[in-house]
Amino acid sequence: MKFTYSWLCDHLDTKLDANSIGDVLTNIGLELENLTDYSNTHGNFVVASIIEFKKHPNADRLNLCIVDDGFKKYQVVCGAHNVKKNLKGIFAKEGLYIPGIDLKLKKGKIRGEVSEGMMLSERELGLSDEHDGIIEISENIADGTDAITALNLNDPIFEVAITPNRGDCLSVRGIARDLAAKGCGVLKDLKIEKLKSSNFDSPIKWFIKEDNNSCEYVLGRYFRNVSNRKSPEWLTKKIISIGLRPINALADITNFITIDLGRPLHVFDADKIDGDLTMHLSTEGNKVDTLDNKNYKLSNINTIISDSKKIHGIAGIIGGLESGCSENTKNVFLEVASFKPSGIAKSARSLGIFSDARQRFERGIDKDFIEKGMEYASSLIVNCCGGEASPVINAGNLQSTPTFIDYEFEKFTKVIGFSLESSIQIKYLENLGFKILKKNKTDCTIEVPSWRNDVESPIDLIEEIIRLHGFQYIQEERVISTNEEKIKIKNSPSNKKHKIYQRLKKILASEKYQEIITFSFHSSLSHSALKGSKSLRLSNAISEEFRYMRNSMFGNHLNTLEENRRKGLNQQSVFEIGPIYQDVSLQHNILSIMTLSTKNNNTVFKSETYGFNELSSQISTLLKELNFDIKQFVIKRSENDIFHPGKSAELWQGKNIIARYGAIHPFIVQKFTKVPEVYAAEIYIDNLPLDSIYNNKKISYFESSYPFSEKDFSFIFNKDQNLFEVYKTVLGIDKKLIHEVDFFDQFYSKDIGIHKKSITFRIKIQSKDKTLEDKELEDIFSKVIDIITNKFDAQLRN
Amino acid sequence: MDVSKVLRESLNELKICDNEDSVQTIRVKFLGKKGIITDLLKSLKNLNEDEKKKFGPSINAAKEELLNKINNKSLEINNKTINAKLSKESIDITFPPPASNLGKIHPISKTFNEVIEIFGNMGFSVAEGPDIETDFNNFTALNIPEDHPAREMQDTFYLDQKDDSNKSFVLRTHTSPVQIRTMMESEPPIKIIAPGRTYRCDSDSTHSPMFHQVEGLLINKDASMGHLKGNLINFCKDFFQINDLKVRFRPSYFPFTEPSAEMDIAYSIVNNQIKLGEGDKWLEILGCGMVHPKVLENCKIDSLQFQGYAFGLGLDRITMLKHGLTDIRSFFNGNNNWIKENGFSLARV
Repeated sequence: MKFTYSWLCDHLDTKLDANSIGDVLTNIGLELENLTDYSNTHGNFVVASIIEFKKHPNADRLNLCIVDDGFKKYQVVCGAHNVKKNLKGIFAKEGLYIPGIDLKLKKGKIRGEVSEGMMLSERELGLSDEHDGIIEISENIADGTDAITALNLNDPIFEVAITPNRGDCLSVRGIARDLAAKGCGVLKDLKIEKLKSSNFDSPIKWFIKEDNNSCEYVLGRYFRNVSNRKSPEWLTKKIISIGLRPINALADITNFITIDLGRPLHVFDADKIDGDLTMHLSTEGNKVDTLDNKNYKLSNINTIISDSKKIHGIAGIIGGLESGCSENTKNVFLEVASFKPSGIAKSARSLGIFSDARQRFERGIDKDFIEKGMEYASSLIVNCCGGEASPVINAGNLQSTPTFIDYEFEKFTKVIGFSLESSIQIKYLENLGFKILKKNKTDCTIEVPSWRNDVESPIDLIEEIIRLHGFQYIQEERVISTNEEKIKIKNSPSNKKHKIYQRLKKILASEKYQEIITFSFHSSLSHSALKGSKSLRLSNAISEEFRYMRNSMFGNHLNTLEENRRKGLNQQSVFEIGPIYQDVSLQHNILSIMTLSTKNNNTVFKSETYGFNELSSQISTLLKELNFDIKQFVIKRSENDIFHPGKSAELWQGKNIIARYGAIHPFIVQKFTKVPEVYAAEIYIDNLPLDSIYNNKKISYFESSYPFSEKDFSFIFNKDQNLFEVYKTVLGIDKKLIHEVDFFDQFYSKDIGIHKKSITFRIKIQSKDKTLEDKELEDIFSKVIDIITNKFDAQLRN
Repeated sequence: MDVSKVLRESLNELKICDNEDSVQTIRVKFLGKKGIITDLLKSLKNLNEDEKKKFGPSINAAKEELLNKINNKSLEINNKTINAKLSKESIDITFPPPASNLGKIHPISKTFNEVIEIFGNMGFSVAEGPDIETDFNNFTALNIPEDHPAREMQDTFYLDQKDDSNKSFVLRTHTSPVQIRTMMESEPPIKIIAPGRTYRCDSDSTHSPMFHQVEGLLINKDASMGHLKGNLINFCKDFFQINDLKVRFRPSYFPFTEPSAEMDIAYSIVNNQIKLGEGDKWLEILGCGMVHPKVLENCKIDSLQFQGYAFGLGLDRITMLKHGLTDIRSFFNGNNNWIKENGFSLARV
């Protein structure tokens, strides 16, 4: 909402200056977004005349002008197309700051010619985006006059953000009313003269069809023999002062009343209307050209205004182009209506139209100001355009019953935290136009003014009171944690989860993984490459890059790694803990890690190549940190198409997947990057039992002071033998004596058979209460050999 | 028996030794089980008392002297060997190691932890909800009905799928639906924060289609706006680590709170940098208010008996302010250089 200080003073008798008014506005909930006061910045620019000009010798498009500011002559290089002799414009001397282009003018040469200043455009002055030539000033204004006087810039401009509940403040009068209630001045009376009707009936009648969803009541009035000329100067100035362009008197009047009083209305060129006008629902597929020079396709939720042949507007939102008023308009039909906010919202939203009328009607207008609005507009029309008016006609019924609220004064203390005398509470409400009907010591009944349809219950009244009293008077109370709450936090599953995430992040960062956060969406490419179980597609995605909810982070991470690789980064490891989405109500927080490792050619600092085994060791470390041994899970090859079929694994516990890791399938890798091999993992942290992670039981390590023995075994197994099973079996052979099983060698060769593998592990044997004798050791060794060879169809190698 | 001759002979042999093995050979030859000096000592038992007194001490002295010399020689050879080895082992200490850093933690992660901790100290536990929400939880239950103008304040992402009431699923536009879920599922008193991802279809240097918020909710019998104010001022002082932080509360509007407020933090520009906490400019930092009775009733909580407050703040925004970051898009594009520059090393998390 934009208005000027002098416009505000049309409604408010105040002694405060613009800055003070600005502060108050924010404090009462009408947030000041901008206060433009050119008098601070534009005082040094002056009116100057171009007394002669010629082509710049070195540039076709530039002119060399001699400019006179009444005191001195300057040479100025100017590129504007409207340069002409005796043109008066706004001149900036060298050394001045040009606000519109954020530049301090320096004396200098332009293409070899001295330029001692600049003739300014509106954009350079920061007044508008207009940059089509330099400003032209009326020749009556003397050279040397300052720009503020010459351009009427001495009126500060307010821009205020109006929240959706305050439709009443989408008008200068509404804002003045709030300021007056706060004590910033006195609200002036609004003088409305009743225009005398001439003795003729409006040839156009209003009809409202019951089934329409917006219009409940409408007034109309016919004006004949008007002359739709330029608006009078006071009106033109007002329109310009808030950055709008004057059009013609009728259009300016409707714009003015919309902004001044928040009362949108519409004028039809009556000669373009065939018969009567009806408010009714559109049928599917109707089209209409509108005043914004667009064409809208309508549906059966849009209420429209039409005559016997044509559509003349989308009700409460925008008028039709054909019956719009022009300089040639002779006869006018004025519409002043009341619309249901919900109907306007639905209709406008479906068409995507943001008009001043819509903005006000969808918030609700003052229903007591329909007749008055008609009178106010009528007088203005006749004053500005002449002509004569028919009596007012109407259609429909106005549903307008005041709201009454029973209010207990003590409620204020309970909600706000300090007590405020009932007389003060009442004063604020009365200032705002609320009527106190019944008043006792403890409570009262209040009638809400017609322009405040957002106020419906006691809590709304409390807000009005504290808003005017001032939020700075609310006393701060301390909020502390009780013991009960501390225990609750300690046991909260979500708190625990965040702690685990934090732990994992620290471990990964200490292992050279960078934490990244990527979008929850991914591209159509990722979606088709990493096909998930269900397509969670965004209907209104920003672009195809962000079309689907991700079912894996791999797509985003591959893109990230590839982008970094193009900047020359060949070794990269990243991780993210975040959500993936499998269905509308199935979201998992997982840890996703990815490593891209190309060969490092440093022969001094040799780095090992990264492969499946390094990744699986990484997974094992992470699980260990959460109190899990990787070997306790069921391991199997991953059948997921994302992965290399031979270099990937999955860990399961019962029906829950715990992790999925390995080399990304080359088919997928090549869709994203030129790197040959990428390793990645997904760990389903939330599938791990929280209790085991948080179990306070210490893991008891075996401790003995008797000597230990170690023994290495090499077996030939079938190639697909699951070694997690071998591990668990060996450890289970004698739980009291066998304490460690360490796999450390593996080889394949034709000699042992292409379907075989040779595996070597070492066991550590130690007793808690004695030195083991050779015989006892031998017994265990042969037990190991027996069980392994029999259970796993293996042979001992020597 | 010429002890001195034997000793002289042994010392001469020892002198020319240049490695540990030859020293040991001499030890064995003279002092071993069957060594020459050992034999001399053994032969003493065949002598009479006078002879024993005559030869005994000199043989023992010779043994003692040889042993000492052998040990010294051994030590000398060891030192020589190690010194010789050391002089050969010098490596180029100036060969530059390749650049290699530990990983960094994302600034948002750090903020998450700080927020959870600070509110945790004030008794708030963490609650969660899904990113894909129903229209009801994200809007209707929060007192934002279908045609409410406030829906235009938020550019909502919709999914193709529809829920049971035939409304498209939405990506939550704020963390406030967690309020609804928590109130539906539990009885007051309620004291939670809900940090998480939020979405709006908007993208420029200050808006990202995905961003982070933390929602706070406190419901009991007497929580007032005074508590709300104290709670949030304390949070900001703690988070920004500024004790005399200058703030202001001003009236605002949210459909789900009444009265509603926004909190601003004062700042000034010093050497082109934002200095938080003082000055005469204001930065909007969060929205808050007393939970609207309609929202309580929507969640089956008796609004005559219970009341409370809610607040929501942008985690990305406070992270940017605290650490002087300017472009929200760089948070989410995985740029390695950015993370190395702006992420946090383990020591600082």
